[in-house]
Amino acid sequence: MRIGDAKQSYEADEAIWTSSTQKIWLAIFLLALAVFPFFADSYLLYMGCLVGIAVISTTGLNILTGFTGLISLGQAGFMGVGGYTVAWLSLNTALPFPVTLLLAGLLAAAVGILVGLPSLRVKGLYLAIATLAASVFLHFIFAQWESVTGGMGGLSLEPAHLFGLTLQSDFEMYFVIVPLAVLMVLAAKNVFRTRIGRAFIAIRDRDISAEILGINLLRYKLMSFALSSFYAGVAGGLFAYFYRVVTPESFPLSMSIFYLAAVIVGGMGNLLGGILGAAFMTLIPEVLNLLTAALTPFYPNAPIFMSPMLEIIFGALIVGFLIFEPHGLAEIWHRIRRFFSLWPFRN
Amino acid sequence: MFESILSKGRRLAGIGSIAAALAAAPAMAQDKEPIVFGGSIPLSGVFAFAGVHLHAGLTDYTSWINGEGGINGHPVKYVMEDTGYEVDRSVAAFKKITGSNTVPVYYGDSTGFMKTIASELNSRGTTLMSGASFATALTDNEKYPYQFIPGPSYSQMFGIILEYISSQGEGGDKPTVAFVYSDTEFGKDPIENGKAKAALMGIEVVEEIVTKPGSVDVSAEVLKLRRARPDYVVFHGYVLSPINEFMVQMRQMGLDTQFMGTFWSSDKLIINKMGADSDGYMGVMPYNYYDSAEGGPMLDALRAQAEKSDPDAGYRPTGYMQGWFNAMVWTEVIKRTMDADKELTADNMAESLASIKDWDTGGIIGIPVSVQDMSFPVGRIWRVNAKEGRYEPVSDWIHLD
Amino acid sequence: MDWLFFGEISLAGLAMGGLYALISLGFVIIYKATKVINFAIGEIMMFAAYLFLAFAGGMEMSPWVALPLAVLGGSVLGGVIEKVMIRPMLGESSISVVMVTIGVASILVGLVELIWGADPQLLPSFLPRKPVFIGEMYLAPKIAYGFLIGAGLLIVYLLYFRFSRGGVALRATASDQAAAYSMGINVRRVFNLSWVFGSLAASLAGVLVAATGGLSPQFGAIGLSVLVVVIVGGLDSILGALVAGLFIGWLETVAGAYLGGEYRMPATFAVLAVILVIRPYGLFGTHEIERV
Repeated sequence: MRIGDAKQSYEADEAIWTSSTQKIWLAIFLLALAVFPFFADSYLLYMGCLVGIAVISTTGLNILTGFTGLISLGQAGFMGVGGYTVAWLSLNTALPFPVTLLLAGLLAAAVGILVGLPSLRVKGLYLAIATLAASVFLHFIFAQWESVTGGMGGLSLEPAHLFGLTLQSDFEMYFVIVPLAVLMVLAAKNVFRTRIGRAFIAIRDRDISAEILGINLLRYKLMSFALSSFYAGVAGGLFAYFYRVVTPESFPLSMSIFYLAAVIVGGMGNLLGGILGAAFMTLIPEVLNLLTAALTPFYPNAPIFMSPMLEIIFGALIVGFLIFEPHGLAEIWHRIRRFFSLWPFRN
Repeated sequence: MFESILSKGRRLAGIGSIAAALAAAPAMAQDKEPIVFGGSIPLSGVFAFAGVHLHAGLTDYTSWINGEGGINGHPVKYVMEDTGYEVDRSVAAFKKITGSNTVPVYYGDSTGFMKTIASELNSRGTTLMSGASFATALTDNEKYPYQFIPGPSYSQMFGIILEYISSQGEGGDKPTVAFVYSDTEFGKDPIENGKAKAALMGIEVVEEIVTKPGSVDVSAEVLKLRRARPDYVVFHGYVLSPINEFMVQMRQMGLDTQFMGTFWSSDKLIINKMGADSDGYMGVMPYNYYDSAEGGPMLDALRAQAEKSDPDAGYRPTGYMQGWFNAMVWTEVIKRTMDADKELTADNMAESLASIKDWDTGGIIGIPVSVQDMSFPVGRIWRVNAKEGRYEPVSDWIHLD
Repeated sequence: MDWLFFGEISLAGLAMGGLYALISLGFVIIYKATKVINFAIGEIMMFAAYLFLAFAGGMEMSPWVALPLAVLGGSVLGGVIEKVMIRPMLGESSISVVMVTIGVASILVGLVELIWGADPQLLPSFLPRKPVFIGEMYLAPKIAYGFLIGAGLLIVYLLYFRFSRGGVALRATASDQAAAYSMGINVRRVFNLSWVFGSLAASLAGVLVAATGGLSPQFGAIGLSVLVVVIVGGLDSILGALVAGLFIGWLETVAGAYLGGEYRMPATFAVLAVILVIRPYGLFGTHEIERV
């Protein structure tokens, strides 16, 4: 049980992990992540990689929507930009994957800035619709700019390579995706220890007041778009390397809604929430699958209902969390933690 | 309102779910290793209207082949998972099933899945794949060496349609044609090849219409066709809407255009939903319809098995025929590989597939078929007889070379 | 330039635009009274269309009985959604409420697929089939009569809002909630009624659109085009909904006819982008003044 909260230096105050217990648990978690692939089969590895990609993208969206309060329905579009960039580069140049991923992120960030420009004139839901419009335009470009994007058929990629080492299997991709995810979440956490992060939060809470306090709204809003889109671009690039094919239909509007739901269910404005939300939303279909398989011997019709049930559960989760637990899974997690750290006392 | 679930459910219950499929397997020699037919099947979601029947076809075939002693004595096991027609779930199912079984043949539920899984499939080299996709891209043997189409590709379907149209020309004059397709990967698939083939055959494509996917009003598009006055309109990329609108509106304008469609829009759904308006609609179908007047040993066996597994079902849709034929081809390929004393690797099976020439399918397809570029470029044009509520053949079996 | 053709295309576009205007009207009523952007409007339309399918198709009622029943069903659905899912969100940030409507949309899609299956459907026909000719110009009968029915409802609505007590209460609540309260207007009831009326308009439009273009669980995608209309017109402007509805419907059809079907969406979204830049609150919307 932790008692007291006395810090003796600014450094200690700013630290992400304050107690040694926390650090030990973190080390165990990271170790588990590293060791997991050696015990996991192909299917679990696949799910692990998917969760990793989802974590990166959700963290990005969380920065924009959860921390800066700018609603975006264009996440899938930015991921698409990243994915297509990686695809094009892998087919037309011999650049190794760290470079292509970086370029994918940067290009997505540039597009993000472009899309964020209206944020000076419009806010709230109007901005959300502007991002939606951007998503539609991007989809149009992906489908029609045949010479670069391969049109409706899309592009098929070579596996990622790094100086002769090719990454083919899920096992190998895991060791790219998961460390990258860890790094990017840490980076995001760091952003919120700096002035930039605090500016984002100020904008979310009351942007007019923020402006009065001297925060250049346009600059920081665009920065938020850029950062968030960078994350989306990297996630999209990893998506491309993982599936090794990108088509205009790989990044549909429903994907943007999926990530928005992940941010909400996990807990807006909370990085841990982003991770929990991403993992939760990605694994729900598989859990439902297991449930259906278990029920099939009793109800042979069970599989037909799986898809509609998934839709209903998805919607119900969003509505349920918003009405009953607006701070999401992160809040539930914190409550559990508080229980354990305060035990045997109640509060 | 609940009839659709109940009837589907009944069908599924009658045919057999996963449990039943597994139980159907060991009717024969227990000492030989079972051969696994794997499948990512869209039992729910947008493709469920076909998925349920694809599954039925595969399940019934498995029961039938086991009743015949399996493949060279090996019992067959059909292991599948529902994917809701979503690519990530299809991939997850694939990994799950191939992780816990040796799977020499696998059914893929969508073009998206086939393309996504290609590089993994190629590097594994253990599995031959086919499925619900007739995408032209799959005939590229370099990129997709271990994937085949259990029928003609969409481009080949257009080729067959154009051959028919060409044959309908009188005295050297070729009829004119318009292509109407949806703005999706599925819809655009055969169009470029279709236009090229039409040009080669001297058939003028007087109009090309792209519709936005989803529930749309097509009256503006109909106006364009009214001006172009094509003799034939070929639809692709649809299952039902907006074909009905085009047909009804154009006929009311007094046009005597003939309407044709490809595989997925050429089943009884059109007849059931459109009623009398569907009369005269033509489709290209590579297999005999369940209620076709033709027969043959395999076709009769199919009908017998279908009756046995679900006596109340009556007519079985084209998806059923597709699933059954798929499994037939797998069987033939595995058999040829085993008979040549070769291991069941993807390379060997692909080779066996390519060796299929003038193969008699026992009535499923009316003429002997040969594999070309990993597809079966054969089909026949059938026309709707709305009064009888069925399709009747209006052309011979056309085998493209 | 073939003017006859252009005229015909324009007529078709305006007829479609009339339906867009009807849907947008429903949307605007909801927004005006409760300040909620209802992303589930396409799905409410879809539900009403499926109800019509069930009544007129499955239960074989006369279409002219099934239609009011289906519209009633859709309106009730709207009221229920407001009571159960929007009311608890009173006072929350707008993004949360919007996300709730997105969640509701998902639930409706799943429900529809569960009850009716995922197969594509056609509605039993109930509109006359003879083509309509305006002068030399041909107009497809379904959208012509659809437009007339929709226009009929529109006129009823406009009269109601103008002259009846309920309509006045709605307008009062929309312009100033506090004042409305103090005048004795049951604001909560007005909220609920606004959703009911909004869903009514949307439901009628839903049946008409499904009659023209078919029905499936993916029907809700039309909501995207409607969003463009309301932004261009102004989220809280009824006049905007009408004008923008007609305009966007016309533009979409003309773009589709002259440029190609794949340009329909980009054309309308291009207009959206332009409006967002030059008149972000829409052609007729009110500019919200924010105070610190």
